[in-house]
Amino acid sequence: MSEVIVPKGRGGAMAGVKRDHQGREKPETKSTNQDKPRNAYTSMFESFRDELDESQARRMKVGTVSRDVTALSKKIIFSLQRVRTLGQPIPERIQAEVDQRLREIAKLLATIELDLSGMNRYRYSPICLEELVEALSFAHYLRHQALITPAQTQDAMPTTGIPLTAADYVFGIFDLTGEMMRFATAVTALAGAVPTGEASQGEAADDRTIVNDMQEVSSMFQICPPVGGKPTNYSKKMDVMIEQVLKVERLGYGVTVRGTERPKGWMPDLKEPLRDGDAE
Amino acid sequence: MTSNTAANMIDPSIFEYLQAHGAEEIEVGERLHQLTSALNRHISTCQGLLSRIHSTPSQKLSPLLQQVEETGIKPEIVAIGELARFTSNYPYYKYNHRFTRSVQNVVSTMLLTAWLGGLGTESRPGELGRLLTIEEVGEILQVPVNLKDRDAFHVTIEEYLLALTDVMEELSRLAMNSVTMGDVGLTVRISAFVKDLFAGFQLLNLRNDIVRKRIDGVKYHVKKVEDVIYDLSLRNLLPKAEGE
Repeated sequence: MSEVIVPKGRGGAMAGVKRDHQGREKPETKSTNQDKPRNAYTSMFESFRDELDESQARRMKVGTVSRDVTALSKKIIFSLQRVRTLGQPIPERIQAEVDQRLREIAKLLATIELDLSGMNRYRYSPICLEELVEALSFAHYLRHQALITPAQTQDAMPTTGIPLTAADYVFGIFDLTGEMMRFATAVTALAGAVPTGEASQGEAADDRTIVNDMQEVSSMFQICPPVGGKPTNYSKKMDVMIEQVLKVERLGYGVTVRGTERPKGWMPDLKEPLRDGDAE
Repeated sequence: MTSNTAANMIDPSIFEYLQAHGAEEIEVGERLHQLTSALNRHISTCQGLLSRIHSTPSQKLSPLLQQVEETGIKPEIVAIGELARFTSNYPYYKYNHRFTRSVQNVVSTMLLTAWLGGLGTESRPGELGRLLTIEEVGEILQVPVNLKDRDAFHVTIEEYLLALTDVMEELSRLAMNSVTMGDVGLTVRISAFVKDLFAGFQLLNLRNDIVRKRIDGVKYHVKKVEDVIYDLSLRNLLPKAEGE
């Protein structure tokens, strides 16, 4: 087989178009390139090539960093999902993990700050920023039981050189409700009650639960006009968010109806399989 | 124990932020729609006038081109100016996708008109076979090109290249029609031009995007012209001096 392929390759080379896939002939190819007849437009296209190459290199670089930052942000979210309380400082060990990952993210983002400066902020907009907003807003919610503001998000960014856009913020918050749903489900399964701000627990009926919080967030997005310049994407995310709110509402209902059947503060014995909790 | 918990889930500033950004996007979107549809009307007029090159013999081309410039390109330039003034208030790449196709079309009408001998200036009279550079396009439109140091409206390299592929398609049609109209010389000029550009396109390292897709189509335009040249040479219809 190889005997058939090699002459073919040489045949192609003799036609004088592509030789460079054979290492040995590379210098020859270069000289033929230089001898190639240049026309009136060659230098124009050469300068275009340099410009396009530069832009492509930048796009690749931003893409690579973005992938890594996305992975780290997801790890932060996984760590935060191990938190079991709401409206309390995050436990030290989890906070240490989060800080470590934020430091790594800061290092990575610093390498693309220049590539995203000025006009290029919207040109090569890295998808990882949505993911990072999701992680930052989730941490903020766990600590303060409140939705992070755009200004607080910018302040919480591990790097100062990259301004967040409205789209980064909004799509990050859309993802936040998914994490809130997961958190609500896990805590409810373990504690038998929908997560509520710790300090206000046991007080009057106006305690805010995570169900209320999610309802508020989804109402807000429904009231406000779409932001972020991707209308189809926006309405899809909105539908997902509403679906998540409904799920958590069902969770709250289930606990209200059945949850009273077990004593307050009852925790499942972790040595036994959590059949009761899993079902919910 | 003091509470970490905020009084409310949502700070009013978030509402304000979303309302303000949403309102701006809607406003800009509507204005852009107005601006681009006005621009697109001028482009249609211009392209319609230019389509007459396929039925206009070379000696009558110059009045046609004059008409193209007056009633096609001039309004385009004005409309581009308005678009440029408006969009320069906002991040260029945030809204660029809304009007980039129109900009391409404007550039391609200009390139075609100039190549056929139009759009001459006092310092540089129009002549057949002149390809406007991206800088010259910017001068005529009075907008910056390939802008890097600030965020404002400009003509991008991608838009210029895409416009070029449109011009090649149009010229490949003209190569055939000019034979029908008895101007074989023009066909030969087109053939040389299209081949030179094709060689140029091959210098580019393209990634998988619209530019690549359209440039991949260029070989069919080249082939169309080659086929015409082949037909002519087979029948000895090529002018001797230029055919060699």
